[in-house]
Amino acid sequence: MNKYLKTLIPTDIAKGLALTGKHFMRVFGTANRRKVPLHVVSEYPEVPAKVQPRFRGRLTLLKDEQGETKCVCCLACEKICPTQVITIESGKKEGRKTKIPLRYDFEMERCIFCEFCVESCGFDSIILNHQFELAAYNREDFSIGMLGRSQNMFELTPVGSFSYAEDPKD
Amino acid sequence: MQTMTLSQLCVMAILQAVAVVIFIFIVVPLTTFAERKVIGYIQDRLGATRIAGSRNGLTGYLNRRMWGMGKVPMLSIFRGLPMFIGDIIKLLVKEDIIPDKADRAIFIIAPALSMIASVVVFAAISFYPGALFTFPRWFPVVGGLPFTGFITNMNVGLLFILGVASVGVYGIVLGAWSSNSKYPLLGGLRSAAQIVSYEVPLTLSLLVPVVLAGSLNFNEMTRMVATQMPLYAVPLLFVGFFIYFTCGFAETNRMPFDMPEAENELVAGFHTEYSGMKFGFFYLAEYINMIVVSALASAFFLGGPYLLPFGLQSFVPAGTPIIGGPSVVWFLLKIFFLLISFIWVRATIPRYRYDQIMAIAWKYLIPFTLVDVALAAAVRFTMP
Repeated sequence: MNKYLKTLIPTDIAKGLALTGKHFMRVFGTANRRKVPLHVVSEYPEVPAKVQPRFRGRLTLLKDEQGETKCVCCLACEKICPTQVITIESGKKEGRKTKIPLRYDFEMERCIFCEFCVESCGFDSIILNHQFELAAYNREDFSIGMLGRSQNMFELTPVGSFSYAEDPKD
Repeated sequence: MQTMTLSQLCVMAILQAVAVVIFIFIVVPLTTFAERKVIGYIQDRLGATRIAGSRNGLTGYLNRRMWGMGKVPMLSIFRGLPMFIGDIIKLLVKEDIIPDKADRAIFIIAPALSMIASVVVFAAISFYPGALFTFPRWFPVVGGLPFTGFITNMNVGLLFILGVASVGVYGIVLGAWSSNSKYPLLGGLRSAAQIVSYEVPLTLSLLVPVVLAGSLNFNEMTRMVATQMPLYAVPLLFVGFFIYFTCGFAETNRMPFDMPEAENELVAGFHTEYSGMKFGFFYLAEYINMIVVSALASAFFLGGPYLLPFGLQSFVPAGTPIIGGPSVVWFLLKIFFLLISFIWVRATIPRYRYDQIMAIAWKYLIPFTLVDVALAAAVRFTMP
């Protein structure tokens, strides 16, 4: 009898409908304001996507206050790299006690983004930045370094010609 | 109303039929769009926001502008609307595959049968009991004649609707059988059993307004049920509405009862082998059926063109401005609300098991509807 009544008067269905209806009104009311979005999706290509602080993106060299690389060419990262994508050629420079890298080549096509290089670095001179749009049309675009055509070891610049990474600025 | 000549009658009927088809082809894309949006918002998504295009194309520009301005609410809701044009183009230009072992003739006829059965019903549906507007004198053939809110005003309108609407299941069953494939066959079997089962409480629940109004004429029923009811008929209509609407979900194969096309069991059910515009016909037929069910529910239970539902309009004096008389706006608003309810229920309730569906129809809905009809007959007995 109880079951019969429960089926005839479906209070649970009414509860469910009330829940989704209320939720719909809340999300519908706030979906189009930038301040309090209740929806969990972002409109990615137009709106830059946010990544978590621990995100492991592309390898980047850091500079100190004088604008020089912090890297002292200890080769720790080159040794620990499991896929051996880092190649460093060290040199000397006037007025600097430590060595300075003449070449720092990073072959991104084989990088597995394990962050061992950053962990092994004793001078905090490299990081994995938050860039994740790493597709490119040419194989050469994946070799990143300090010299020549691929001078983008320091910046966030897009790797290939195909990227959404630049800010819309409008 | 003046008597019309045959040519005037034909021209008027064609004009009204064209108006109905335009109405259908405006409402169906809007419903598919609303379905994407409403389900999206319920699931914390945004639904459709763009059509195909690059970041620097029109859609990308529009989206970036919107975000730059902090999004203009009304406009940004309708950003995904052009998607229905893409849908139509896709369905039209897609390759139309007919399986080798399929029964060709029936395979081709089935979607058309399904579609025609759902469109023809509009011949008997009345959007407004009188003239919507009168053609001016200078108009070629039908000058000076009223453009009525209904195509035909037949005395057995409801019988016609029920009879034609139940032909629609043949489209599904024949399409399933002629595909010569096991999943469509199972879908068709389920559909046949389900629709035959739910036809009974659906028709019985429509008996409540029929008994209360004492007529089968669409306009007459709408007017009687909306305006001539005693107070104790209101709960009967209230219960009858929910029974009818539940059965309407089953008749249109919508979400809690979409056994014929249960995706996780039967690939896509009865239209597994269909592609291109043949599938499009099934798809259209489902949405047109939704409009038909909403129109009947709002006409016979929610007061139709009168504002207040469930016969409560009887207690509003007829001379009251705006809410006193009939208006086509109320009718369209009710249809719109019921269509949104279809989507809302789809986003809320998961699919029932097959034996549960049958149990609900035969063990619960039919006895309950019979009690409802008996009480309605008793109420009718006390009415003048």
